[in-house]
Amino acid sequence: MIKIERLSKTYRVEGQEVSALDDITLEIGKGEVFGIIGRSGAGKSTLLRSLNLLERPSTGQVLIDGEDITGFDHNRLHTLRQRIGMIFQHFNLLSAKTVAGNIDWPLRCTGNLDAARRAERVSELLALVGLSEHANKYPAQLSGGQKQRVGIARALANRPRLLLCDEATSALDPETTQSILRLLLDINRRLGLTIVLITHEMQVIRTLCDRVAVIDGGRIVESGRVADVFLHPRHPVTRSMVAQGDPLTAAMLDPAHAFAQDKLRGTLVRLTYLGDVTYQPILSRIMAASAARFTILQGEVSSIKDLPFGQLLLELEGGNEDIRKVFAELDRHRIHHEVLQ
Amino acid sequence: MIDLSMIEWGDIAFATWETLVMTGVSLFFTILFGLPLGILLFVTSNGQLLERRGLYRVLSFIVNVLRSVPFLILLIVMIPVTVILIGTSLGVEGAIPPLVVATAPFFARLVENVLREIDRGIIEACQSMGIRTHRIIFGALLPEALPGLIAATTVTAITLISYAAMSGVIGGGGLGDLAIRFGYQRFQTEVMVITVALLVVLVQLIQHAGDRLVLHFTRK
Repeated sequence: MIKIERLSKTYRVEGQEVSALDDITLEIGKGEVFGIIGRSGAGKSTLLRSLNLLERPSTGQVLIDGEDITGFDHNRLHTLRQRIGMIFQHFNLLSAKTVAGNIDWPLRCTGNLDAARRAERVSELLALVGLSEHANKYPAQLSGGQKQRVGIARALANRPRLLLCDEATSALDPETTQSILRLLLDINRRLGLTIVLITHEMQVIRTLCDRVAVIDGGRIVESGRVADVFLHPRHPVTRSMVAQGDPLTAAMLDPAHAFAQDKLRGTLVRLTYLGDVTYQPILSRIMAASAARFTILQGEVSSIKDLPFGQLLLELEGGNEDIRKVFAELDRHRIHHEVLQ
Repeated sequence: MIDLSMIEWGDIAFATWETLVMTGVSLFFTILFGLPLGILLFVTSNGQLLERRGLYRVLSFIVNVLRSVPFLILLIVMIPVTVILIGTSLGVEGAIPPLVVATAPFFARLVENVLREIDRGIIEACQSMGIRTHRIIFGALLPEALPGLIAATTVTAITLISYAAMSGVIGGGGLGDLAIRFGYQRFQTEVMVITVALLVVLVQLIQHAGDRLVLHFTRK
């Protein structure tokens, strides 16, 4: 659906060329939830805004359904933007209009519906985001989560094929964040909407995204399926983003810092696995085949979006032959393992 | 002691009426010219919807020039222009063109500042929806700016009252004229006191009404 090819953006700041995006190439599929994660100033916001040309790229192409939008004139750009919804960190609602008025606003300006059809569409959208009782309130009377729901309803008004989320949950508390993420996931499934989001929170990526790209210094340093990037981060920036706010994973990625070295005698092994195997008694099976003994130092069994996964940090004790047997069994069960020390 | 028996209340009522007419009509034309000028200043300024650096500089320069001329001098300079426009430079009608020329650029600058205060994100959100620039300005920005615009209008109306009083110096009508002719030139201190008191009351009323309206339209 979206193809970004060799996209670059440079600004001139006081005579100096500053590069915001550097040779970005990406492909995002129809119906996919694609996350872009990075620190502030990494260029994620510029990248997102290149998809509806709120930012004009300096070079490169943005293809949406095969058409390069960077060459669009004013009229085509207006039409394109009407088919791309966008929600914002600070909601950007019109304070002088009611909730219903805010949702009606894009319909009134861009659609060709009459007043009765618009009112019908507005109440449909209000029901979708669960704000039917608040139609006549003003944004100032709503909580942050409710404001973002209005933002989502407004973004969906013209039935877009693509929704861009600019740090949509960064101004919300954790509980509200979860409810907004659930709403977005629900919309993605029910309407088949493609979602591209930027965030600096790994939790958002884990809950919502199918694939993720990690951006740093205007370049994509790593990308892939969320489970792969999350469980096996390679780039230092990815590792720190994965570890941030998640002491469990942090300890597993870097046990040398997390555990007292003098207490550890055996081999430290990190196991990761995905899917159905998560619900099987793999540890007992594997250890039954070997005389090695194990201690679980750290572990997490959870899910990334709907994919169950587990990661365990084990200390193995036993002879070389016993440990070799354990590894052979792990391979047989297709369980990823890496020796940490 | 102030002796109120000397006062011609009919004259004072008529002068008050004249002041109200001068202020009202001037305010109307000030908004008529100043609001579009303020909007134009805002949208053509750096980084805004219709950025035109050259046009902005020219408009901004004209506004600054008009605002830097002291009103008393503008009153005198404007006399020939006023005669051409409405046939006389005297009385209530004669005071209106210089009043508008003096306050429209002031009001325009206030409008520009009010629009600048609106969250940039609102414009971005509208652009992301594919809404055309004129609709963003008139459908989103102006309604968002309404409380600020009312406050700016209040400030401008009060400025007009004091300017209108000053126009008495060159033969304009109203309370200022009365204060100068009777209170100052004929040493009737009572007239002076009453005109000033009336001006104070007028200003208070306008400020109060403006504040009420701002509150009524504020949704934050």
